[in-house]
Amino acid sequence: MTFNSLQFLVFFMVVTLWFFRLKSQKGRVWLLLVASCYFYMSFIPEYILILGGTIVIDYLAGFLIEKNTGSTRKFWLIISLIANIGALAVFKYYNFFIDNIHTGINFFGNKLSLPVLEMALPVGLSFHTFQAMSYTIEVYRGNQKAERNFVVYALYVMFYPQLVAGPIERPQNVLPQLKEFRGYNWDNVKEGLARMLWGFFKKVVIADRLAMVVDRTFAHTIESSSTALFIGAVFYSFQIYCDFSGYSDIALGAAKVMNIRLMENFNQPYLSRGIQEFWSRWHISLSSWFRDYLYIPLGGNRKGGLRRKFNVFIVFLLSGLWHGANWTFVIWGVLHGLLVILLAGKTIEKNRSFIYTACRVIVNFILVTFLWIFFRAENLGAAWEYIQRICSFIGGSNYIGIGGVEFVFSLMVIAIMMLRERYGKGFFIASNTRFYLYTAMMVLICYFFGVFAENQFIYFQF
Amino acid sequence: MWASTSRTAMQFVADHRDHDKWWGLNQMKHGDLASMSNLDFLDKFYTNHVANFRRPKYNGPKNVNLYIHGDSYLYKMYMGDSVFAGVSSLYFIGWTSILHYHLDTTKRNIFIIEVSERLLREYYHTTKIIDEFHDTVETQGKTGVLRSAEQGQKYGSFIPGIISDNFFNKFINQNLQCNIFNYNWIKPMYGSKAALNYYLFDRASGDVIISKDKQYLLLRQTLVPVGNGSSLSPVSDDEISLLVNNFNEIYDYYRGTGFTEIYLSIIPNTATIVQPDGYNNLIPRVQNDPRLKMAVIDIYSVFKQTKEKVFLPGDTHWNNTGKQMWFDTVNKILVGK
Repeated sequence: MTFNSLQFLVFFMVVTLWFFRLKSQKGRVWLLLVASCYFYMSFIPEYILILGGTIVIDYLAGFLIEKNTGSTRKFWLIISLIANIGALAVFKYYNFFIDNIHTGINFFGNKLSLPVLEMALPVGLSFHTFQAMSYTIEVYRGNQKAERNFVVYALYVMFYPQLVAGPIERPQNVLPQLKEFRGYNWDNVKEGLARMLWGFFKKVVIADRLAMVVDRTFAHTIESSSTALFIGAVFYSFQIYCDFSGYSDIALGAAKVMNIRLMENFNQPYLSRGIQEFWSRWHISLSSWFRDYLYIPLGGNRKGGLRRKFNVFIVFLLSGLWHGANWTFVIWGVLHGLLVILLAGKTIEKNRSFIYTACRVIVNFILVTFLWIFFRAENLGAAWEYIQRICSFIGGSNYIGIGGVEFVFSLMVIAIMMLRERYGKGFFIASNTRFYLYTAMMVLICYFFGVFAENQFIYFQF
Repeated sequence: MWASTSRTAMQFVADHRDHDKWWGLNQMKHGDLASMSNLDFLDKFYTNHVANFRRPKYNGPKNVNLYIHGDSYLYKMYMGDSVFAGVSSLYFIGWTSILHYHLDTTKRNIFIIEVSERLLREYYHTTKIIDEFHDTVETQGKTGVLRSAEQGQKYGSFIPGIISDNFFNKFINQNLQCNIFNYNWIKPMYGSKAALNYYLFDRASGDVIISKDKQYLLLRQTLVPVGNGSSLSPVSDDEISLLVNNFNEIYDYYRGTGFTEIYLSIIPNTATIVQPDGYNNLIPRVQNDPRLKMAVIDIYSVFKQTKEKVFLPGDTHWNNTGKQMWFDTVNKILVGK
């Protein structure tokens, strides 16, 4: 069940109306848990067993960590981490590992055929395992009490708006909200719905429209001109942003309607003036997860410059691998890490001219765009070929999958999106009349200008 | 929501919905692609379903029992025995049907396997398909009549059938669309969006693409560079070998059950003929493979050579001219021996 499907709209409506009819928080928690189970099972029902298994282990581990001290406490944390990372290792990385063993052995002329796992990657595995790990780590650190109520804990991991593509939440933020009964709040409903509509707009009007260009250029790299490929790459930057941040907007909006505040995941990343700043604005919940649970425990910047660089490199390497079991993601992460290391200390001077700032933003955007090519390409060879052809200013087909009018329209909606996010003041609309007008306008725009090809959200695959 | 996910409920809706009334939009009335893209208001994509096929000029004996295992290109509702030369009995078996048959060995028993190009790789790429295929001809029964059989998609054993049938249906979005929005009075809204895309952006919506010459609507699936149904997605030599091997196994099986002649007929995608740039050559590579045991009814070559239009402009299928060409090609085989 993707957010941009009719099934989700009906599902959301039914669950939300039912949610507000219930007069006890216990009933609401049960409702949301059952709804979240259905939401998850609508992808592949059997995979709920994997999710359920890790939930039970982490729930028990939380108890045992809290109850024990010293090495026993650490032991249960390790058990929890092994369970979660183990699930990732088996279902996400096993085949990648085996493929590389095969390649290595075949390179030396030997033949070996190890069994591979013939199953699709469970949806959102990387997200909910990381969220579950943040719980046991926080309990271990003493920042969070172990949750007694299993249903509440299960809902913390499974809460449907953020189950399959984040934000990767922290227990301190979500658990208290799940236990507190809050009455119907029209302001929250308005704000949540307005944000959801904005998310739908970014997904169906922008991201899925740009996908037509991106899919075309990445599939026809050899015959396309440098200009077409460059447009494809730039459009991919906006596609992935609108796709992922659109998802986050819908997730945050849906939660807000039910009086639950989730953490922000984006802050206009393409207005960053440097790569370091980009990472403080892009996928914030993941960046902060790696910062809190990997970078700082590794020593952060407390153990000298060389060690800091090593720590940054490890974080970005693993961040790349987190996105997918493919060398393209690893290289994407490594390149980002190297840039952050190389450009460290290049602080952003205040009070510089608008032109200077604009140039930095543009240069950084182009840099990020070129790195996205690794993220989008099927393999490293394809990515390299794509970049080479852009840089060689070669001729070829200028066809980008859409006509001239739609190209201009695409630029226009990108500009509207950027301006709205730069100068817009949140999603709360005080006046009811203005809210209704906004809703009607957005629904009509999404319907008439939306591209409905049942495209999944890009980050669902992670 | 339940009504849209339940197989039983959707069957009820399908059975009781009158397609000409306000609440029953007829999706196929003007051609499947024209309806899918809501461009059926344009005359150029209108589909004429009236079929008038030539009777073959043949006065010889009717000594052929013709069995056709085919898909929507040959649904029996659009043809009759009379279009075939020398055929005494015609048995048409759709993809979800089972045939009980008893071969009359005093006659020529001919079996034609007809498959559209976009389904070829999906149907015949695993041996599992062959097992299913074998099941469609049930040799125990000797009644010679057709019987329907459901081949529903079930989820794994963990989910009981009653739950998967009623709560997890992979077509739920299409079913919801059908139950909530598929009414004649909503049709103008669909048409408005389609018109906006067509006139402003010069394209169709969703799963439909307009051909470069603007004369045809094409199924997106047949033109994207990935996927089994595409005319453009690369086909490896190994996959061709697999397909040929699977057809050979099918050939051996039916030869073993007593059929004297077995033919393979692959109907090309519209895109393969009208927009062949980058074609993966799937049909010629299978048909011309020297390892293939089955004889071939080569309509691909006929379509490539003809100057006439052989496909419907707003539908995935061929037009009457194309279908007539297929009948003519088959009749040459029927009377040639």
